[in-house]
Amino acid sequence: MNETTFDPHVQELLTQYHQLLPVYEQMGDLVPGMLRNFFAEAGIIVASVEHRIKTEKSLTGKLQLKGQKYHHINDVTDIVGIRVITFYNDDVGKVTSVLERLFVVDWENSIDKRKALEIDSFGYLSLHYICSIPTETYTDPKYPEMNEIRFEVQMRTVLQHAWANMNHDTGYKSGVEIPRVYKRNLSRLAGMLELVDDEFSRIRHELADYRRQVQKLVASGNLSEIPLDGDAFKSYLEIGPFDGLMRRIASINQAEIQPVNLSPFLNLFLAMGFKTLGDIDALIKNYYDAAYQIACYQIGLTDIDILSSSVAPQNLCTAYILKKGGGRVGLKWMFDTLNGPSEANEILADMLEEQTKDLAFMNQ
Amino acid sequence: MEVVIEKQNEVVTVFLKGRLDTLASQEVSQQLEGLSENASGTIIMDCTEMSYISSSGLRIFLTLRKAASEKGGKVIVRGISNDIRSVFMMTGFLNLFEIQELK
Repeated sequence: MNETTFDPHVQELLTQYHQLLPVYEQMGDLVPGMLRNFFAEAGIIVASVEHRIKTEKSLTGKLQLKGQKYHHINDVTDIVGIRVITFYNDDVGKVTSVLERLFVVDWENSIDKRKALEIDSFGYLSLHYICSIPTETYTDPKYPEMNEIRFEVQMRTVLQHAWANMNHDTGYKSGVEIPRVYKRNLSRLAGMLELVDDEFSRIRHELADYRRQVQKLVASGNLSEIPLDGDAFKSYLEIGPFDGLMRRIASINQAEIQPVNLSPFLNLFLAMGFKTLGDIDALIKNYYDAAYQIACYQIGLTDIDILSSSVAPQNLCTAYILKKGGGRVGLKWMFDTLNGPSEANEILADMLEEQTKDLAFMNQ
Repeated sequence: MEVVIEKQNEVVTVFLKGRLDTLASQEVSQQLEGLSENASGTIIMDCTEMSYISSSGLRIFLTLRKAASEKGGKVIVRGISNDIRSVFMMTGFLNLFEIQELK
């Protein structure tokens, strides 16, 4: 077997690397876990948190080139490498704040190319932090070196990650100089992806603004000004518009109310032709008694003492459809829209039409 | 009330036969305790031969649904009679479960 002979200094650094390998592996598990927990607590959604330990082969290549720069293996700061990939470029800033809070950042060796990039050049806006774990954040008596060893955290968006990988595959490290035209195309692509990243962030900001506006309008009661859509309906549900009716229905049998997700009713309201939250508000006001009458008839003579919170909107829609002359066809359509098409919904529609035909609201 | 539990791969089928009234519910609830703890797959509640369901019975269905949704599983209700379908509709439970009709 051939053994490569290295410079004694490189050999010494490699020996230190082997001795510390269990510590690196431990850090490779620990740091991503700490980050994931912190992101989850702070509500930061990232695409992924990855890690890798530099292989002996890769380290050897680096040391052979610039081994003299390092006095000790701990001077090599990228043996443990972490990569955090975010969906939005403004989340990269949040990730840096997390790193600054959790770890000690070695500013001298950290890189933030986002600010330094030339005005006429485009490429991966690299952001690398060199960090270490302070003892107040974590210690392990088995691995005291863990607080001494620095590690590198790369932060990028999904699009920057895609670009960096493509660039890596087509140019960097391939050993062959690629023609200028391809380099230029890659640069053009980087510029476009930077724009796309900014657009995604802008859209997210606009959506957040829209949601805040809707919440304000809902709170102020200007419901007829709010177009009915997913965001508006979600904000509307937060003020519990069906709760009063639901409590009244539950009081018939002193039933327990099981809160359920009412968002499936959005499709039904839209299919019923409702345009604004004001239309739902009017439905509640105009059909409150009718919905209650349906519930009284259905459960008043039973011992049922558990109800899902969907009974209130379901009964309101039932009353609305019947009063508008929809009959059993309309009721079947309602169940098809809510629960998916089924022949069995015809049976339900028949039952419901029969149950309601003599109720007061149907004859007023 | 008779309860038969069959497991095939990741699908557990619970055959409920008779009346799921308040008294039977206590026993059935105990029989299905293990199922709630391992509700990561699909649970089919076969009600083809179930003739009645009380509020306590509905609570059993609800407990299973909650356990399944927490563990990434799902509960399918199969073969309910028209009377039980009516109870599911009146209580709003129809919106909570995937209902499978018998072919």
